[in-house]
Amino acid sequence: MADTLDTVAAQPALPLGPRPQIVMKNIFAPGIDQIETYRKHGGYQALEKALRQFQPDELLEEVKKSGLRGRGGAGFATGMKWSFLPPQSPKPRYLCVNCDESEPGTFKDRMLMELNPHQLVEGAIITSYATKVHHAFIYVRGELALAGRQVERAIREAYEAGFIGKNILGSGFDLEMTISRGAGAYICGEESALLESLEGKRGYPRLKPPFPAVVGLYGGPTVINNCETVATVPAIVTLGADTYGAYGTEKSKGTRIFCLSGHVQRPGNYELPLGTPMRTLIEDYGGGMRNGKKLKAIIPGGSSTFILGPDKLDTPLDFESVAAAGSMLGSGGVIVLDEDTCIVGAVLRMTEFYRDESCGKCTPCREGTFWLVQLLERLEHGDGKASDIDLLNDICDNISGKSFCPLGDAATSSITSSIKLFRDEYLHHVYAHGCLVGPHAKPAPATARETNQSRQSTPVGAR
Amino acid sequence: MAEQEELVNLTIDGQPVSVPKGSVIWAAAQKLGIEVPIYCYHPKMEPLGACRMCFVAVEKMPKLATACTTVVSEGMVVRTDTPAVKKARQGTLEFLLINHPLDCPICDKGGECDLQDFTLRHGPSASRFDLSKRHFQKPIPVSENILLDRERCIACQRCMRFCQTVAMEDGLVMEERGFRTEIGVNPDAPFDSNFSGNVVEMCPVGALTAKSYRFVTRPWELQKTGSVCGNCAVGCNVRVDVRVDKVLRQYSRTNDSIDDGWLCDRGRWDLDAINSLERLRTPLIRKGGKNSELQPASWDEALTLIATRLREITERDGGRAVGGIGSTHTTNEEAYLFQKLFRAGLGSNNVDHRHGRFPATERNGLPWVWSDSIAGLEKASHIVILGADPYHRQPIVDLRIRKAIRGGAQVYVVTPEPNRLDRLATGVIRYQAGQTGTIARALLNVVTAENLTRGDFAEKRSASLDARRTTVAQDTPERAAEIAGVDAAALRELAREIAGAKGAVILYDEMATLEPTGANLAADLLDLALLTDNFGRPGAGVGPLLEDNNSLGARDMGLLPDTLPGYRPVSDAAARAALGGVWNATLPSEPGKSYDEMLSGGVKALYVMGANPASDATPQQLAALNALELLVVQDMFLTETAKRATVVLPAVAYTEKDGTFTNTERCVQVVRRAMQPLPGAKADWEILRGVARALGLHWAYLSPAEILKEIGRATPIYAGVTRRALGDSGARWPLVPGERAADGRPALQSSPYLTWQMVEQGVARGIAAGELVAGRGRGE
Ligand SMILES: Cc1cc2nc3c(=O)[nH]c(=O)nc-3n(C[C@H](O)[C@H](O)[C@H](O)COP(=O)(O)O)c2cc1C
Ligand code: SF4
Ligand code: SF4
Ligand code: SF4
Ligand code: FES
Repeated sequence: MADTLDTVAAQPALPLGPRPQIVMKNIFAPGIDQIETYRKHGGYQALEKALRQFQPDELLEEVKKSGLRGRGGAGFATGMKWSFLPPQSPKPRYLCVNCDESEPGTFKDRMLMELNPHQLVEGAIITSYATKVHHAFIYVRGELALAGRQVERAIREAYEAGFIGKNILGSGFDLEMTISRGAGAYICGEESALLESLEGKRGYPRLKPPFPAVVGLYGGPTVINNCETVATVPAIVTLGADTYGAYGTEKSKGTRIFCLSGHVQRPGNYELPLGTPMRTLIEDYGGGMRNGKKLKAIIPGGSSTFILGPDKLDTPLDFESVAAAGSMLGSGGVIVLDEDTCIVGAVLRMTEFYRDESCGKCTPCREGTFWLVQLLERLEHGDGKASDIDLLNDICDNISGKSFCPLGDAATSSITSSIKLFRDEYLHHVYAHGCLVGPHAKPAPATARETNQSRQSTPVGAR
Repeated sequence: MAEQEELVNLTIDGQPVSVPKGSVIWAAAQKLGIEVPIYCYHPKMEPLGACRMCFVAVEKMPKLATACTTVVSEGMVVRTDTPAVKKARQGTLEFLLINHPLDCPICDKGGECDLQDFTLRHGPSASRFDLSKRHFQKPIPVSENILLDRERCIACQRCMRFCQTVAMEDGLVMEERGFRTEIGVNPDAPFDSNFSGNVVEMCPVGALTAKSYRFVTRPWELQKTGSVCGNCAVGCNVRVDVRVDKVLRQYSRTNDSIDDGWLCDRGRWDLDAINSLERLRTPLIRKGGKNSELQPASWDEALTLIATRLREITERDGGRAVGGIGSTHTTNEEAYLFQKLFRAGLGSNNVDHRHGRFPATERNGLPWVWSDSIAGLEKASHIVILGADPYHRQPIVDLRIRKAIRGGAQVYVVTPEPNRLDRLATGVIRYQAGQTGTIARALLNVVTAENLTRGDFAEKRSASLDARRTTVAQDTPERAAEIAGVDAAALRELAREIAGAKGAVILYDEMATLEPTGANLAADLLDLALLTDNFGRPGAGVGPLLEDNNSLGARDMGLLPDTLPGYRPVSDAAARAALGGVWNATLPSEPGKSYDEMLSGGVKALYVMGANPASDATPQQLAALNALELLVVQDMFLTETAKRATVVLPAVAYTEKDGTFTNTERCVQVVRRAMQPLPGAKADWEILRGVARALGLHWAYLSPAEILKEIGRATPIYAGVTRRALGDSGARWPLVPGERAADGRPALQSSPYLTWQMVEQGVARGIAAGELVAGRGRGE
């Protein structure tokens, strides 16, 4: 069966003027997923430059200077992370490229892998060289079958062309590269669970410290970077740290791919300099709201980040500004909700995701998400109590900061932030026994409070 | 000689405490007696940090810390009582309870359940959960002995981690994820491990329960007594849990130097004999002579009959006409009294026990004994299992070997049969059954022929080395290959490994000494260890793995025809005089008859205590047993031997009496009475005292402790061994002077390992130990 490039490839011609295309450069060039075409477009020249003009440590300095920060979620400075590897270690060191992209609202790594896999492979080779790694693993989300095949083929072609293997381009640098496919667990995108999974174990996050940079895959020092982070490295080598770092803001340098989804006219991946206002992304690139609806809420960095209200539309999309607005840039997945969206329903759906994806290792996340979903379900279906809203908040408080890994914290973001912004809508569900907006909307009863009180009978079996 | 540990100072709730560097906060709190509740953490396993029960507040840390994973640092300020900590604990408990069934009234764990207890002490008083709980089928068997109730499981992973990381048997696994998480049986490896019962003990809730204990009692009805397991030679420390007149289970009473906190399933659950309804409750005698039936009799009647007949026979034919077969199950005190009865009371050296061939008077009276210790295994670089099966016979030794493997030790399994350790071994060598001695000689051959000997002993005792070179000159691995069907190259390689090891421990089964090739097995392996310098330090040594709970103690106490207590030859006039002085008796000098000789018509009266020779006797031996003028059997059951007896005396189990056992690595430990003796039966020491009194001897012992005191005077290797010196966790003989106690008296400490000098000077004769101790005492 021939591989067909699906929707993400069908990127519409962009209506706007020139903007820096660094990671997405040439991404829509026909045949760029083949090594010859990739090379025709300058592919693997960054690798040559890296090997010939840089010592590994110099390369690391260059990446540090570029200001590149991780695109996987936490936004940790990439060069700094690399420098945490101990200079000497008895065990082999590894690179793991995190292509497990499963964060709801995030679909950039998938595009990078499906359309331009060689760029990722080239980035992985350069990263390995800079970190003195001789075995790199690319961990691809199991569901992304096409992406997996594309990366696999690109690795094969790179081996055949001598870009991977022994003595790459006569530099004396050796590298093996292995692709590994996930088996359908969001948690395996968390770096230490990814390592467990790579080792063939159950995807449970590991206790830290020790951090993977010190004790990682098979006990060896390990660098773990997001797909986009690694795919950006060749461009930094080509352009130079200064040119790359000139984009973006003082602390959030460069460009990154924003995955715009939700109720906008033109959802899709847009590479923009960090610091571009959210309004520009949504209104200019995304073409504004669909069907002339009003904007209700924005989730700026994937479903794990706090929901923002329309008042935050002018927030610049850089790490610091989004944090100041009360959320996180996260994975770059900007989800836009319009006025017809029932917030309780949307939050319920997201919470179900975390309940199902919780690995079950720690009590607060395992049991707490189970409870949260049940409460949200009953609220959404109009059977909730007013006290459920505070209970939700308190359960979130008992999860957040108490869970073993950030997934537990993430599960609470949409709940606490939506209650803050839309408490009335939650209350409407209680008093009107239905939604405020959307297909299941029910009007508020005239005497809301009394109606609710009449329903305060205790369910069977409850205290 | 405790290694100087670096201490870290911190405060918890304002109280200062110092703990070794690297400790976690939980351990420091534990030391202060401050309860920090835990579920997933288990002090014997790596921290996991999963249950989120153990939150504490640490100054300068932005979030609450888990006490089980956070390592202490100098000057750390910890609080366990802040509102945030209390809320977090309540939060976790509330989470655990939302899916927990309200089974407490019918749950075996109720009363000793950490979920109940911590909820009571740290939990919310009411739940806010008013929705529907998760349900599973319950209970389901996960093994022959264990049931799993998934609704009660709090997914702490203790059981799974025990299986995978401690037992290394992979029996239990985690299934599904998130709120669907459950414990399951590994489809590829049945949960049939000999260590499985530990998961029942460590499960903090009633999710894993023992079939044998199900609905049998409530924990508060149990009487719990700290004692020692009597089921094998390891001597694990247990808590015997008794309800009225039944032992329901044994739980661990953690002794790091022996069991490391674990028990095997045999020790935990094989208690049927104690609880059996078949047990003897009254003495039995044949009133109408040999061919009459055994009939109940009073103790007086029975003891008088025994004394009268014994006197008759010894007066007629001398002490040589009577003999005794003692037990490897009874206490040291009882074994000691048994041989004393014969030597001092009846003038006979005819005493023996059944196991192994241990010609104890060879080589300066050294008993063939494990020179190192179980805990020492962790320090070994190589462990060689030769003709032994610790997994089945000394299970907790096997478990410690697994721990050593995790620490990097290489294990070589050299056995005729497949062994449960094969899978984890660096090398596996098979040979024909009965050829263990051949293998040992081949190893010694390689070491001497290839000049691989090294170390102090080989240097200073070159005569011994030269002699060895000659005696094993012909026994090459290639020859062993012909005789024993062994892989010669592998055997040669193994010998080289042993010779080059940082520390090798060589363990063999005592029963291998009974094989046709086994006569010199113990001596050969001792030489192998000595000549390769694998001796005299923790993690280097050699010795037999013994079979029964007091196999070693029985020998130590002189249940041997040719040696007095402490392995002094009966022919040694000085030793006889010394012991005779303690006993106020003149002792016979002629070595007595062995087990086999006594069973083959060598005696006219035979006294069997806690043994059953008829069960594996030859037809000739049976005939000889039947022909005896007097056969006394002292046992818990009417055994095959007892059925032939003239007098049967009902004895009690080890859980019904006090005393001491000596385990396979020289550790003397206190056994405590955990229940009332079965009505009608008596402890062996009491019975022996009765017999002695009936014989007119003035035995005034009031308690086993008193007997132990006498043992300390009569048995040089037990010098200084008193109840007090043994404490809660026992001591390895010989006791040597250690640090001074607070009151200025020299405290005695156990010898974790024997050196070749101790061996050579004759530890066994007590020159090293006994006189050191005595001399020190006089000098004060
Ligand atoms: C629950 C969870 C899921 C995650 N999933 C992903 C993922 O799918 N892809 C990814 O790159 N990082 C993911 N991360 C972040 C990684 O743990 C890690 O921070 C990242 O791969 C580091 O790469 P970077 O520094 O290049 O961003 C996840 C983190 C958590 C807590
Ligand atoms: S928070 Fe806990 S249960 Fe949730 S994914 Fe992380 S470790 Fe697993
Ligand atoms: S069965 Fe018991 S020990 Fe095992 S995970 Fe569940 S609660 Fe923990
Ligand atoms: S190893 Fe031996 S002493 Fe220990 S519990 Fe098992 S049977 Fe008892
Ligand atoms: S006991 Fe500390 S997290 Fe479980």
